Amino acid sequence: MMSENVEEMLLEVPVQPPTDLFLPVSKKFLEEAYRNDEYVVLVGPQHPGSGHMRIILRIRGDIIVEAIPDPGYVHRSMEKLAENRLYIQNIPLFERPAIMDTGNMTLGYVRAIESALDIEVPERAKYIRTIIAELGRIGTHLYDAGILAIFLGHTTGFMWPFAIRELIVEALTRISGTRITASFLVPGGIRRDVPWETLEFVRKTTFAVERRLKGFEKIFIRNPSVMARLQDVGVLTKEEAIKFGLVGPFLRASGVEYDVRKVEPYEAYDMLDWEVPVADEGDSYSRFLVRVEEIAQSISMVRQAINALKNIPEGNVISEDVLGEYRDVASSDIRGYFYKVFGSIVPPAGEFTTLTEASRGSLLYTVVSDGESNVPYRVRIITPGWYYLKGFMESLRGERVADLQAIYGSFGYFPPEADR
Amino acid sequence: MVSDAMILSKEYFMGNMVNIPLIQPIVDYLLNVPFVGYIVAILLWKPMFALLFIPGLTALMIVLLFIIWFERKLTARIQWRVGPLEVSRPIGGIIQPMADGLRYFFQEVIVHRDSHRPYFLQFPILIFIPVLLPILFIPAGSIIAINTPYALPVIVAIVSLIPVFIIAIGWASNSRFAYIGSVREAFMYFAYEIPFIFAVLAMILVYGTADTTLIVERQTIPGIILNPVAALVFFIAMAMATSRLPFEIPEADQEIAFGPFVEYSGILFGLVMTIAYEKMYILSLLMTILFLGGGNGPAILLLGDLSGAIWLFIKTLVVMMVLAFLRSIYARLRLDQALRFGWTTMIEISLVALVIGVIINILGWYA
Repeated sequence: MMSENVEEMLLEVPVQPPTDLFLPVSKKFLEEAYRNDEYVVLVGPQHPGSGHMRIILRIRGDIIVEAIPDPGYVHRSMEKLAENRLYIQNIPLFERPAIMDTGNMTLGYVRAIESALDIEVPERAKYIRTIIAELGRIGTHLYDAGILAIFLGHTTGFMWPFAIRELIVEALTRISGTRITASFLVPGGIRRDVPWETLEFVRKTTFAVERRLKGFEKIFIRNPSVMARLQDVGVLTKEEAIKFGLVGPFLRASGVEYDVRKVEPYEAYDMLDWEVPVADEGDSYSRFLVRVEEIAQSISMVRQAINALKNIPEGNVISEDVLGEYRDVASSDIRGYFYKVFGSIVPPAGEFTTLTEASRGSLLYTVVSDGESNVPYRVRIITPGWYYLKGFMESLRGERVADLQAIYGSFGYFPPEADR
Repeated sequence: MVSDAMILSKEYFMGNMVNIPLIQPIVDYLLNVPFVGYIVAILLWKPMFALLFIPGLTALMIVLLFIIWFERKLTARIQWRVGPLEVSRPIGGIIQPMADGLRYFFQEVIVHRDSHRPYFLQFPILIFIPVLLPILFIPAGSIIAINTPYALPVIVAIVSLIPVFIIAIGWASNSRFAYIGSVREAFMYFAYEIPFIFAVLAMILVYGTADTTLIVERQTIPGIILNPVAALVFFIAMAMATSRLPFEIPEADQEIAFGPFVEYSGILFGLVMTIAYEKMYILSLLMTILFLGGGNGPAILLLGDLSGAIWLFIKTLVVMMVLAFLRSIYARLRLDQALRFGWTTMIEISLVALVIGVIINILGWYA
């Protein structure tokens, strides 16, 4: 029961906003902007058009004079975490940075261990790895296209790629059993062989994706309002692109024909017939178009790889070098022998570096082993997002504030990937 | 002439009553009931009927409920989704906007510390004055509230007031996104105002009058056939005025988070959100009057005077549906692109429309 003599208590605690607000830029920077009749705008980290990062813009009128990135809001200290896990346990960790790109992300790490242990991967596993990597590439490019569309206010252009991406996810589910983070790649091969029916399903999926992409092309890619927003925006010339260290499709959009898959072929890439899409303009639209063309190339690669798999007998998908005594029982399916085989990997002492072409660009892994422990001494990851952040910021210079979202989307910048 | 004593009497209202054969027996019976008869006479008095039912408040409510649902449903179908469904599943979720409105009612209205409190609270309500006043000059068949030869200039003048209120809303919100949004709204207004007025002017020249009732009467051929260029300009200006994509620049939610309305919550947000749709309704009515023959159409005998009103309503809804369709096919343009478009292409086309209007005026088509 409430007493009737309840006194109303008033707490004299005035709430005032703090006066010494934290600013991620120096006072000198602010004073200089003030003197030059410019002003500083902080975009993010809660802004709907910035993702989990902050961009500090110095603006004169409507024109961006300087853009300073403030990343790190989704830093998960992956490199440090990796030092406390078994080599095999790092695979699920390293596929976390990029949502769709798990195939490429794990591929780099797995190849680093393989180069350390000097393992030759069976041919069938090579092709299946290529298929998984390319499916991830298609999925990532579709994901980025959707984000670009929603940044431009085009909701149909957002929904369609995400729906098309579901097909890719379904294909990955049939292959590995999980939608995206499957940890399907292991040192020496893949976890288990993929049956012929599943490969046939994947092949059919590529046709379904291709058919739906035609509709997407009509409504978004060739849409005049989209082209008006993206063309001649955020231009990086060939020299600038090289100078600022751009990678992947964004480097190729500026006219540099560089693709790790061509330069240092790994897996089955040198056995497939494909081209490197290159554009010369270096603007936001060509950055987008290059990735659209890459989807077509990836679809073609997946089909070629599946056709090639017809001639390779089913069975051996894990290298005998890594299986050892279990080579007879586990060569087509690692289930039941996983930790017996991979639990105590100890690579020889040394530094092992691999360069992988992930969806958004070059992905570098350096694994340092001391030669006696079963956890890495140090793992260095440099993700493509981190590589092209500088170029992204430089391309903002001289553009309008409203173009920030268009350029952001054209780079497909993905903070969790860049922050690791 | 009506004597002063006649004004406000039942007979005065009955002299200018909406005639609907379908419900005439009921009306006749009710008119003889004391007091109720007086109220029925007022309600069916044409100016009052126009204000309260069609094209006035009731029609507006139906349009708001329908077009918000239709826009969401259409967009969803285009985007391989289902759209609003869970509220009233058997009828396809059509009362979803009502449920949203109810939710807005029970949400807290937050007035932040930095806002200019009186204006922040008043403007969302005051803005209904310019938004709803033009309805008085729109003829639905023979039903019209105010019949004046200056109807079109008055409508255009009142519609031009709406951006001023939106800018005031942004100013009262005192937030940086609201500020950028109101400046964008002002710029967009400059972009579409002149082509919009030119298009209306061209149609005034075509019909030789600014009286909306006469305009509808003279449209034996719809205006869109007489001057299709003016219709195009009017349609684009309408998309710009109502912040439809590709001109959804003042409210760009990815860039400035709903612009002038960023600070509103609760029922006040519900009010400001419907402003664009109400403006869309007014401009669609105007487009129907100017280009699509207003209430002209095959007479439905049973409905009598309401027949024209129903035709006007249907045509307006079709125009609004076309506008709703734009959302799913276009991306947002940049402000400078929209301004350039407004000041070059739009003005050029609207001048062509004006020339066509002058030629038709000289040829004297309407005579």
